[in-house]
Amino acid sequence: MSKTKSLVANALIAALYIAISLVLEPLTFLSVQFRVPEMFNHLVVFNNRYFFGVVLGVFITNLFSPLGMYDLIFGVGHSVISLGLLILIKRTVKNTTKLMIINTLIFTVTMAIIALELTLALELPFFLTYLTTALGEFGVMAIGIPVMQMLNKTMKFEKLV
Amino acid sequence: MASSLIIGQYVPEESVVHKLDPRTKIVMIFAFVIFVFFANNGWSYLWLTAFSIGAALSTKIKLRYIARGLKPVWFLIVFTFLLHLFVTREGDVLFDIIGFPIYTGALIQGVQISMRFFLLILVTSMLTLTTTPIEITDAIETLLHPLKKVKFPVHELALMMSISLRFIPTLMQETEKISKAQASRGVDFRTGPLKERIQAVVPLLVPLFVSAFKRAEELAMAMEARGYKGGEGRSKLRELEVRARDYLAVVVFILMIVGLFLLRDM
Repeated sequence: MSKTKSLVANALIAALYIAISLVLEPLTFLSVQFRVPEMFNHLVVFNNRYFFGVVLGVFITNLFSPLGMYDLIFGVGHSVISLGLLILIKRTVKNTTKLMIINTLIFTVTMAIIALELTLALELPFFLTYLTTALGEFGVMAIGIPVMQMLNKTMKFEKLV
Repeated sequence: MASSLIIGQYVPEESVVHKLDPRTKIVMIFAFVIFVFFANNGWSYLWLTAFSIGAALSTKIKLRYIARGLKPVWFLIVFTFLLHLFVTREGDVLFDIIGFPIYTGALIQGVQISMRFFLLILVTSMLTLTTTPIEITDAIETLLHPLKKVKFPVHELALMMSISLRFIPTLMQETEKISKAQASRGVDFRTGPLKERIQAVVPLLVPLFVSAFKRAEELAMAMEARGYKGGEGRSKLRELEVRARDYLAVVVFILMIVGLFLLRDM
C-alpha cells in the first residue's frame, strides 16, 4: 500500500467521521446518547494505520464544538491514549472480536479523562459525571462490535489503507 | 440542506482579531484556558470578563451571534450553577428556598464556576469564529514543526487535515443523499427497537465507506501522477507572517495576565 494512499484514505475516514456526526442525529435510547461515528474507533482493530484518521476526525469535530479548544485537548487525549493502549494490546491478542471487546472496555474506562475535564472546569462530582459519560460510550462501542464486523465482511478494512 | 453544510463557525469580518496571525491566536487562547483557573475572587473574574468581552467586541462579530453559538452550553452552565448553589455549605445562610438553605459561599462558588466556564467557551470559540479552518491547519503545522525532530509526521498531518476539510461537505451531502435514499426504501433510523435501528445504520455506512475509499484511491493516484512525494522540498501557497499587530496583541495579553495576578491578592 502506497504511503500517499494511506494518507488520503485516513483523511477521508476523518472527513466521514465528521460528516456522519454532523448529519446523523445521535441515536438516543433512554436518554443516553449514542454517537454513531464513535464506532470508527474499532477500525484500529483491523489496521493500526486507521489511528490517524480516527484521531483527526475527533480533532476536527472538537475544533468546531461549542466547548472549543478546551474540549480539543481532552477529547484528542482520550482517543490517543485509548487507541495507543489498544495498539499495545494488539501485540498479544489477535482475535478481532476479543480486541473489539477490549477496545470497548478501554474507551469506557478512559472516559474518566472526559469526566476529569468536566470536573476540572465545572467542579461537578467526578463519579456522577463519569457514570453518565461512560455509559453512552460503552453503549455505542458495544453496539459498534457487530456493526463493524458486518461492515468488514463487505469492506475488508485490513487491506484498505 | 444548505444550512447544514456550514462547517465551523467562521464569520468573515474586517477586524484586528481576524487579521492576527492564527498562531498568535492559538497560543494566546491556549494560555487563557490555563490562566482562567487562576482567578480566585470577584475582581479577578470581573477583570477576565471585561477582557473577554472587549476581545469579542473587537472581532466586530455581533454579540448576539456569538451568544447564539453558546446556546448548546447554556444548559450546562445553569445546571452547574444550581448544583453548586444547593450542594455547597459554606458561609452564612442567605435565605431558604422551600426548605433548602442557600449559603453565601454556595452563591459565590456557583457564580464563579459558571463564570469561568462561560469565559472558557467564549474565548475558545473566538478562534473558530475569526479563523478559517485552513488558517488553523497552517498554524498547527508550523506550531508542531519542532516535533519533526522526533519523527512526528507534521506535514502529513497538516495535509490530511486539509484534505479532510475539503471533503467534509462532499461526504455530508452524500450521507444525506444515501440516508434519504434508504429512508425512501422504508429504512427507519428514528423509531423502532434499538436493534433494528442499529441494523438500519449498516446499509447507510456501506455505500459511504465504499465511496470514501474510491475517492481516496482516485485522489492518491492523481497526487502521485503529479509527483507528490511527501513534505521534503515542497513550497507553500500561503505563508504565515508575524506582524506588528501580533506583538501588540501579545503585549496586551501579558498586561492582562499581570493585572489578573495583581487582582488575585485583593
